Amino acid sequence: MARYAFSLDLDRCIGCAACTIACKTGNDLADNVRYIAVNKFMRGHIPNLFGSFAHHRCFHCEDAACVQVCPTGALSKWNGLTVVDAAKCSACGYCTDACPFKIPTLAAEHVSKCIACFDQVSEGAMPWCVQTCPSQALRFGERARIVTDLQARRATIKARFPAARLYGETELGGLGLIMLLLDQPQVYGLPENPQVPLTLTVWQRAIQPASVGLSLTALAVTGASFIIARRQHLREHARNHQTESLDQIGKDQK
Amino acid sequence: MNPSSRFVQRYAKTQCLIHWVGVITFFALLFSGIALIFAPLSWFAAGGVSKLIHRIAIVPFVVLPILYVILIPRQARALIAESFTYTRDDWAWFKCMPAYFFGSTKNLPPQGRINAGQKIHHALTFVMFVSVSVSGFGLLFGKGRLGVEGLAFAAIAHDLSMLGLTVLLIGHLYFTLVYDALSAMVRGVVSEEYARMEHPKWVAELPENAFIVARAREK
Repeated sequence: MARYAFSLDLDRCIGCAACTIACKTGNDLADNVRYIAVNKFMRGHIPNLFGSFAHHRCFHCEDAACVQVCPTGALSKWNGLTVVDAAKCSACGYCTDACPFKIPTLAAEHVSKCIACFDQVSEGAMPWCVQTCPSQALRFGERARIVTDLQARRATIKARFPAARLYGETELGGLGLIMLLLDQPQVYGLPENPQVPLTLTVWQRAIQPASVGLSLTALAVTGASFIIARRQHLREHARNHQTESLDQIGKDQK
Repeated sequence: MNPSSRFVQRYAKTQCLIHWVGVITFFALLFSGIALIFAPLSWFAAGGVSKLIHRIAIVPFVVLPILYVILIPRQARALIAESFTYTRDDWAWFKCMPAYFFGSTKNLPPQGRINAGQKIHHALTFVMFVSVSVSGFGLLFGKGRLGVEGLAFAAIAHDLSMLGLTVLLIGHLYFTLVYDALSAMVRGVVSEEYARMEHPKWVAELPENAFIVARAREK
């Protein structure tokens, strides 16, 4: 099975936001819905200013917390990408809280996030954002190739941006969107070490199956015990009646 | 008069009615909730069907206890008072619990209208009701603001509370069926034989005219 990924080279990004418009138009998104946001930011003091663009979009995590918590399979993994089946969504909202990047939202009673242009990609075409990017900051393809290319790019910009690094190469099992950051992740509002907390895994892998399992066990135990208990109760009931009858005979004889 | 043909009122009709509305509500919440944690039932959650049922059922689930207190305050007070008063006989009753579980009432210490098992049942139900409601409202109104730890904490509390309530329900059903106590919640009455076997302290407090002769389908 192929493993696809997006790459975002922030040295090449010019912040034109064409990707956001292409995504919205190509996917025919409603007015209040968007899968990508690009925000310009600036740090430092003149003359040592540093500016870049923070992209807020799905990272398609390999160990995706949203997929883990989705109770209906509306969110699932497909060739390394996190795809959405809106018809299955129950709008429980678990994914909105579980995502370490705060990406999914609820819109029109179902989950709203990048669907990796599933229809396009499954037919061999490029996602809308990649097709539209004028500076080739965005690319899409086999993940291994994407990583190799970005590593080479980092080497070329290392002299200008010593803090440059790849974000998503190993995080959360390897992200499906790997960014070439020009500075530390915190500068871009990204967590240094995104993780799915243990409590979430405990809930999913232990509490949920235990809740169903223990309920069924209680049902089975009481079901089996019922036969013994019911026999015992009926015996006791019969003994009581026998005693009552003997008492009655005694009274009648008196 | 044969004790198995005489009956005594144990619950008011309104208590029975509230009980059965509660039963329907609980099962609606249980199955619509299980759909979110039990993969073979996920089809029921897909598209939001179970969510709609869950949200509708929340209303009677939360309102019923309030209605109980408003409509039948005397019975509500009595139930709370009896449920949360423990005596030496109650502690002794727990020692006989294993035999009682398997259908024997022999050597049971005398019990009032609410036996020690029911007292524990009521106390645990109250605690679980509060925790399932608080965590449930947290999940409902905190959606998108809980954060991952908040979601996990609320969901674990909700699932464990519901597990507790489900096990309590199974136990409740079990003892009801073993000891033929269904009539207590169908017509509000229990047979004199049942009352004398399981709640002799209560029977001792009842006036003679409390016993009625009735045609009974149940014992």
